[in-house]
Amino acid sequence: MSDLTASPNVLTRVSARVERTLSVLLAFLLGAMVVDVTWQVASRFLLHSPSSFTEELAGFLLIWIGLLGGAYGIRTRAHLGIDLVVSKLEGVPRRAAEVCAHVLVLLFALTTLVFGGSRLVVLAFELDQTSAAMGVRMGVVYLALPLSGLIVSLFSLEAVAARRREGEEG
Amino acid sequence: MESPGLVLVPAFLGCLALGVPIAISIGIATVATMLVTRMATGIDSFALLAIPFFILSGQLISHGGMARRLIDFAKALVGGLPGGLAFVNILASMFFGTISGSAVAATSAVGGFMIPSMEKEGYERDYSVAVTMTGSVTGLLIPPSNVLIVYSLASGGVSIAALFVAGYVPGILLGLSLMVVGGWIAARRGYPVERRQGIRAGTRAFFGAAPSLLLIVIVMGGIVAGVFTATEASAIAVVYSLVLAVLVYREVAVGDLPRILVNSTETTAIVMLLIATSTALSLDFCSLSPRTGSSSSSSSTCSFLPLAHSWTSPRLC
Repeated sequence: MSDLTASPNVLTRVSARVERTLSVLLAFLLGAMVVDVTWQVASRFLLHSPSSFTEELAGFLLIWIGLLGGAYGIRTRAHLGIDLVVSKLEGVPRRAAEVCAHVLVLLFALTTLVFGGSRLVVLAFELDQTSAAMGVRMGVVYLALPLSGLIVSLFSLEAVAARRREGEEG
Repeated sequence: MESPGLVLVPAFLGCLALGVPIAISIGIATVATMLVTRMATGIDSFALLAIPFFILSGQLISHGGMARRLIDFAKALVGGLPGGLAFVNILASMFFGTISGSAVAATSAVGGFMIPSMEKEGYERDYSVAVTMTGSVTGLLIPPSNVLIVYSLASGGVSIAALFVAGYVPGILLGLSLMVVGGWIAARRGYPVERRQGIRAGTRAFFGAAPSLLLIVIVMGGIVAGVFTATEASAIAVVYSLVLAVLVYREVAVGDLPRILVNSTETTAIVMLLIATSTALSLDFCSLSPRTGSSSSSSSTCSFLPLAHSWTSPRLC
């Protein structure tokens, strides 16, 4: 933890690169989802044979968009929160509250997304679960959970380090 | 311990007070008893897919020149009344609501154009902003509406088509009441009256807006007639607005699309995470609460989805 905060620029650089990669990936995923569901309608009307995989694929894409987009939103500060109390604070108490909030986000990401998600991935691989229509291994689909958790952890660590830096400078 | 609420509710409120994002607060409050599968099942629903698509088509409509044409049409219809720009603003939001499921898109599209032009005409800024914000809420009631999709899910399967149709009358009534109040305030403050447009300019404005308004027929007609589901209709709406914005009006360049897609996924993800964590929490309540028992896991009586819905609806959907 201390070496991370000691080299804040590395953390920021890595986070910025991850954010850019995520944005490309997210644009691709949503674009793919539009094509997928449009194909579902088109195949039913034009070819008179509804394709079987589109609905399932769209569901998986939504899981990935929801989880990775949620991680992306941590860095772009897009998530909804109530700043009623925090905005009244200044200086050290405010930074403390912000650090506290980010640490809670970090804890959530590590316990639920990374730990819980990895367990789910392992379980799905052990039981050899596959999806009904496409035969995709569910463990692969669930990989979005730990991956999202790792990215959320990275971004919240970066935010904590930034607050600490502010504290040292101010 | 009588109820898990004794732990969950204070934990949730504590997180909120610290400024933790609400979605994360709900998650933290449940983490002790949560199974992560529930989060995946929470958003694994085909009906929910309509939400990203309506958000995306809303973005395309607002960047693609359709919003401006709807505003021009509203101006031709009600611009000549006293306090005209307020009426134009509300009516444009209602038009926008009929073709988009996303009120936040309406606020930025209509407000981005109307607030500066209202200020230029001498309307006060607080009034212009208030009219825009309240006006865009009509789009939540007027179908298609992302909020009604979430409601359908939370209530355990009320028909989305029925909810959509039921949204018209209250949505229009809300718009009309806002116009009454807005017009009254405008008259008292002596805001300027626009020059009435001729029938010719009005017709031109109508034909300008017609391709955008045709989207209502496609989306709502398709859903109500049972030609396609709400999700499929939303995908069609994306394709239609994409064609209008990129090929017909040429106001969105292909190079702008990645930015629009990323913005849409961001808004989508905020809603989805809230739904996912709320679903997990409501399942906890169902399985732990002695009264509801564990059998009725999807029962609306113990669903926390309305919570997600009440947070997201005014801000995002």
